[in-house]
Amino acid sequence: MTFADVGGGALRAALALALWGLLASAYAARERDGRALQSARWSALAAFVLVVAASLSMAAALLAHDFTIRYVALNNALETPAYFSAISLWAALEGSILLWTTILAGAVAYVAWRGTREIPRLATTALAVMFAMLAFFLFLVVSPAADPFVRIDPAPLNGRGPNPLLQDHWLMGLHPPLLYLGYVLFSVPFAYAVASLILGEGGDRWIVATRRSALVAWALLGVGIVAGAWWSYAVLGWGGYWAWDPVENAAIMPWLVATAYLHSVMVEEKRRMLRTWNVALVIGAFALTILGTFLTRSGVVNSVHSFTQSAIGPLLLGYLAAVLAFSVGLLLWRAPRLADSGPVGVPLSREAVFLFQNVLFVAATLTVLLGTLYPLVVEAISGAQLSIGSPYFDRVEVPIALALLFLMGVGPQLPWHGASRATLERQFAAPVVVAGAGALLALAVGLRGAAAVLGYALAAFVVATVAQEVMRGVRARRTLHGETAAGAFVNLFRRSGRRYGGYVVHVGIALIALAVVSSQAQAAEAEATLAPGGSMQVAGRTIVFDGLRDVVDPQRTQVVADLRVLDGGTGAALAPALTYYPNATAGIGSPGIRSTAGDDVYAILAAYDARSRAWATLQVRVIPLVSWLWIGGAIVGLGAVIAALPPGRRHSSAVAAPSGTVASVT
Amino acid sequence: MSVARPRRQAGIGERRLLALTALAIAVAIGYVAFQNLNTSAVYYLTPTEAQERKIAPGASVRLGGQVEPGTLRYEPTSRDLRFILTDGVTRTVVVGKGAPPALLREGAGAVVEGFFATDLSFRATQVIAKHDEVYVPPSPSRTPPHRTP
Repeated sequence: MTFADVGGGALRAALALALWGLLASAYAARERDGRALQSARWSALAAFVLVVAASLSMAAALLAHDFTIRYVALNNALETPAYFSAISLWAALEGSILLWTTILAGAVAYVAWRGTREIPRLATTALAVMFAMLAFFLFLVVSPAADPFVRIDPAPLNGRGPNPLLQDHWLMGLHPPLLYLGYVLFSVPFAYAVASLILGEGGDRWIVATRRSALVAWALLGVGIVAGAWWSYAVLGWGGYWAWDPVENAAIMPWLVATAYLHSVMVEEKRRMLRTWNVALVIGAFALTILGTFLTRSGVVNSVHSFTQSAIGPLLLGYLAAVLAFSVGLLLWRAPRLADSGPVGVPLSREAVFLFQNVLFVAATLTVLLGTLYPLVVEAISGAQLSIGSPYFDRVEVPIALALLFLMGVGPQLPWHGASRATLERQFAAPVVVAGAGALLALAVGLRGAAAVLGYALAAFVVATVAQEVMRGVRARRTLHGETAAGAFVNLFRRSGRRYGGYVVHVGIALIALAVVSSQAQAAEAEATLAPGGSMQVAGRTIVFDGLRDVVDPQRTQVVADLRVLDGGTGAALAPALTYYPNATAGIGSPGIRSTAGDDVYAILAAYDARSRAWATLQVRVIPLVSWLWIGGAIVGLGAVIAALPPGRRHSSAVAAPSGTVASVT
Repeated sequence: MSVARPRRQAGIGERRLLALTALAIAVAIGYVAFQNLNTSAVYYLTPTEAQERKIAPGASVRLGGQVEPGTLRYEPTSRDLRFILTDGVTRTVVVGKGAPPALLREGAGAVVEGFFATDLSFRATQVIAKHDEVYVPPSPSRTPPHRTP
């Protein structure tokens, strides 16, 4: 039996199980039939095991260089190192869809097996929805559109090797799976929301049941986006990390909607408001994950990520249309049952801030969507080809981002139901002073633009509000429980993880804002052609060019420029390179980066004397604070972990929160 | 922190104020978005299309074509870049500053962003190489490549 036999067979068996599970769980939900439910649950587990087996056989085929499989022949070579062979599982379309299907199968098994033996009717219905989605993706991976196990005969002696850009950095092993986990896990809240609509439940049981999975999906997507920005920065060699590329937009849109959702559910839990809105947000976030996959996988938009055009595009578009028609139709049908306690009213209240925050997040999403799809629309109508560049996104999204930073500081400081004047003074006196200090700091480090200074001020404002909350929380615990300062600090995060984890996320976002402001506004750049021994100046740094050398690896050859950054006498080494892979006609630039807390020195070998190695054209950038972008991303992830952990003493077994206990926010 | 606060019901006036503010924000953002959409749109043209449409000197456009073999010159010391971009009918002289992207080769596709000077040469602010492998090459702005005829 070959890897292809095992993998292809496992996927077909999993498809049969998913279809059976769909029928069994739908029957179980309708008839409250325990045996059908058990059968569905075992189907979910078995399907997951089979899809994992299929993924493992693909990974094994890649590691074993089994070129009888077309995917392996196209994305692997004998010289490919083991790490990059293994992660070539997601180097191209078919493998990526297989990874997606694997994660989805895991999510189905999670929905089937979470909680106790008797899972409630809501979860059973959600399970049926999950099975339907899994069946679609399993259909994709066994259909010619995205079958990863298609054979090639005769098998080539060597494969083409993975895409050069994908074997250049270890982050490639992290960024796509994180993003996919985030994308796919949104299907859990979506399935529960749809199940709640199908059953006609008016309440927010579905929100309580999926609070953690929504948070985890959001966090994984967010960290995956930051990891992608980091990969772009470290590999693509253009000195930036975000270009409003359609694929970046595809990833950020569901994240924006999910961020709105995570906040507006608090309004529903606390005030029984915005019920229809929350269902709409979950549907929107989920639909945007499919739209993102469609945009990136169908080849309708040109992007750095567009791998191949394939027949999968129309299938995904059909899936998106079906999902939208079904869920929006359900929502319209059931909306009368989603009665709110009343509209949001008092302007200076936390629920009002959440309302504005939601308006801004949705506006940000729609404007990004507009900029992403506009070229498609124009080309379809008039045939003219155009692109919407960064200026559009910068001009529209930067003010929205600043307004959101402001609300991020204001929201947690305002009580529910409205604030009095005394409350406002108590909550905002110190943070406003700190915000002023932030603005002065921005001016002191040489920032001048209004948006940049405001960005610093608002980031300082946010950090100050969080610090104030934490200090007050510690003080309260010390007086109430007689804890030590350190103990109170730790318990704050353990006992009220959702609230204080959220604050940690806010600090991470504030750091990201600072990093974006400084790296965008204050990067210095110089380009020079140097002979060995020559030097150039960038932002007060001297960079010495020591010469070129050739490095030959089995899978690639490199021309490396040896540089030294002279600051403080240590002379940190930089080695930007042009890398040549046998499957690419031209060199891939690999930047040399020296990161410190203050700034990054980022060097690119732009051109060199191919005959005698007598000169090299070097581009060097000094980019302030950019490493805080990655650190901020990690802090966002940490905050999400704190918020997702069960409150109180940590229980190792995560038991589904019983309905009725709404996790405390305040 | 959870202290019982007096539950205040919002008056109709307050509710209306809130709804109107939210609506005003949405309208303002929509207005800014549509304003910027047109000013930020950069059209792709071939050299022939650019000639036919008589693009004004200084206007920002993006030209797509092929680097004419034998015309690519890069002067390392002054970092002057010069080549002829052709679509098979019209040839445009492209002048730029800085090393060409690693993937830019004679006979291969290229996209240049910039403007026409009064002498009808094209001043490129960005030169983007395009090649026909499955993966689009990285470029300074990572802008979408033009489908060259």
